Amino acid sequence: MEFRESASIALLALRANKLRSFLTLLGTIVGVTAVIALISLIQGANKYVSEKLVTQGANVFWVDKFGLILDNDKFIEALKRKDLELADAVAVAGTAKLAAAVRAKKERNADVRFGSERVRRVPIQGMWGDYVAVDRIELQEGRHLTAADISRRRSVCVLGYQVWQDLFKGQTALGHEVRIGPNSFDVIGVAEEKGSFLGQSQDNYVIVPLGASDKIYGRRGSIEIGVLVKDAPAFEMAQDETRAILRARRHVAPGKDDDFGITTAEMFMQLYRSLTGAIFIVFVGVAAISLVVGGIVIMNIMMVSVTERTREIGIRKALGAKKSDILMQFLVESATLSLTGGAIGVVLGAAIALGVAAISPLPAEVSVIAVILGLLMSTSIGLIFGIYPAMRAARLDPIVALRSE
Amino acid sequence: MNDAAGAPALISFRDLTKEYNVGGEIVHALAGVSLDIPEGEYIAIMGPSGSGKSTLMNVLGCLDTPTGGSYRLKGREIARLSDDELAAIRNQEIGFVFQTFNLLARSDALHNVELPLIYAGMAPKDRKLRAEEALRSVGLSDRMRHKPNELSGGQRQRVAIARALVNRPSIILADEPTGNLDTKTGNDILGAFELINEQGKTVIVVTHEEDVAAHAKRVVRLRDGVIETDFRQAGRRVEPVPSAPGRG
Repeated sequence: MEFRESASIALLALRANKLRSFLTLLGTIVGVTAVIALISLIQGANKYVSEKLVTQGANVFWVDKFGLILDNDKFIEALKRKDLELADAVAVAGTAKLAAAVRAKKERNADVRFGSERVRRVPIQGMWGDYVAVDRIELQEGRHLTAADISRRRSVCVLGYQVWQDLFKGQTALGHEVRIGPNSFDVIGVAEEKGSFLGQSQDNYVIVPLGASDKIYGRRGSIEIGVLVKDAPAFEMAQDETRAILRARRHVAPGKDDDFGITTAEMFMQLYRSLTGAIFIVFVGVAAISLVVGGIVIMNIMMVSVTERTREIGIRKALGAKKSDILMQFLVESATLSLTGGAIGVVLGAAIALGVAAISPLPAEVSVIAVILGLLMSTSIGLIFGIYPAMRAARLDPIVALRSE
Repeated sequence: MNDAAGAPALISFRDLTKEYNVGGEIVHALAGVSLDIPEGEYIAIMGPSGSGKSTLMNVLGCLDTPTGGSYRLKGREIARLSDDELAAIRNQEIGFVFQTFNLLARSDALHNVELPLIYAGMAPKDRKLRAEEALRSVGLSDRMRHKPNELSGGQRQRVAIARALVNRPSIILADEPTGNLDTKTGNDILGAFELINEQGKTVIVVTHEEDVAAHAKRVVRLRDGVIETDFRQAGRRVEPVPSAPGRG
């Protein structure tokens, strides 16, 4: 028998029992919804994170006192380490041959004011070296800090886009003085907008010369060294080079661990992937459970359907339906049933993902693959759990079936 | 007149037996039935309940296989065919008409009539034309899109007849076709069978009603799983049919 006949019988049966069909499909709907929503969110996030993190930080590594520490004990251990100093950065800049640009940064929060406007707790970045190249900061007006600004610790600053917007409301900031903490700084430049990353504005900062920042929050504190590597293939080697320079300067004995940490965008990526991977596995488990439950419910309802329609099966057999025709009819019916659930789940899941993306900083991307996966999954649930009821129907004796009420 | 002497019979039973195991006891529903039915026959199979007439009808209709003996349909031995082969024969050679009509309640008349053609693998366009033609031939051209519950009993049975005829089978097999109808409607239906028979189709009616059997050219009476009498009748005149060879 042809597929269309079976599918139309199935849809007819679905429509005849709307509430029952909906309840039957609940498990499948929930399962597919979860899968689609999750895949969409994770895929969106993956794309977003890799774009932002990798393109912004490609060929750059950062050295600081801690590195990427996820362990509390290791963190406490790392607290005891010697601070990284400007002299360390100077040494790297002077001796590392594979480094294209080196900068040192110290960062702490302070309030920034202009006239009656005030922005609280802005990260004040004390910079030394070629921060323009390492941090890729483009200006929309004015100029960057010069080597002279930095060496003379001049009270000048470059405003992040967000800070400029908040203080100057779109008016030019050049030639004006802002107060950072207790001190006055001349605005010499305003950075272009970078946008936000996972809801965090990337434009909320003020750059001042390292040393000038001492006036705001004192001399204490470790610096972070940022290194831009000349060419990508030498990325690992460049890290080793810097590691060797710093180990020598800080007198780390051979065989002992570094007393500083090197971080790359790739490491963040890996951390991120392992986090989302764990979430993903948990959700896939939940989805799998609801799909199996959904499948059992479908099997149950198909058994009911076969029993209810025993006479119909008898009639069809009397008119020449083969076992395979009846089998096909009920398989197509259960597959159509679960596919309908899957389609509803896909729509709901996509709506949830896009809804979450709309009201939260989390991005989402509903991919064709996710949709196909959802539909495929639900259809196979229908097929797998429909086999037993369909075989029962196919094996019915036509005489017995015709006699049933 | 001996039809068996000329062309081979359409249906030929030889020593047909059917046994059931009911709670450990063997019941002989058919205890050796031999019967020839030539093409174009209109035959009534009669008998009280328990006589084996339902079993005979099931075997005749290829819904069931006999335990022993031979059943040739158009010269082909079909007593030992598989379920799927029997399904194909039901589809191509036999048109069923049931007492309770047995229409699909959710489908309209047209779709009900299309069913045998669907299982015959006919293309949708062709089978729609054929089904419409069949419904017209039973006088239901204005009821094609009606569901069974929108039709009267007589109309339902006519849909069933259209369905039985649509795949152009050689045999129309009717099981108490007037059992659920009033006398007048029943007579209409029997008239339809006569017309079908006049057009050359073999009609086999299983019934316990003498009035129904009176329409047939030949009446076979069963009792206790064997043929009791086998008469050819013309109007009220009754003449015996020569015995089929091997009949016990």
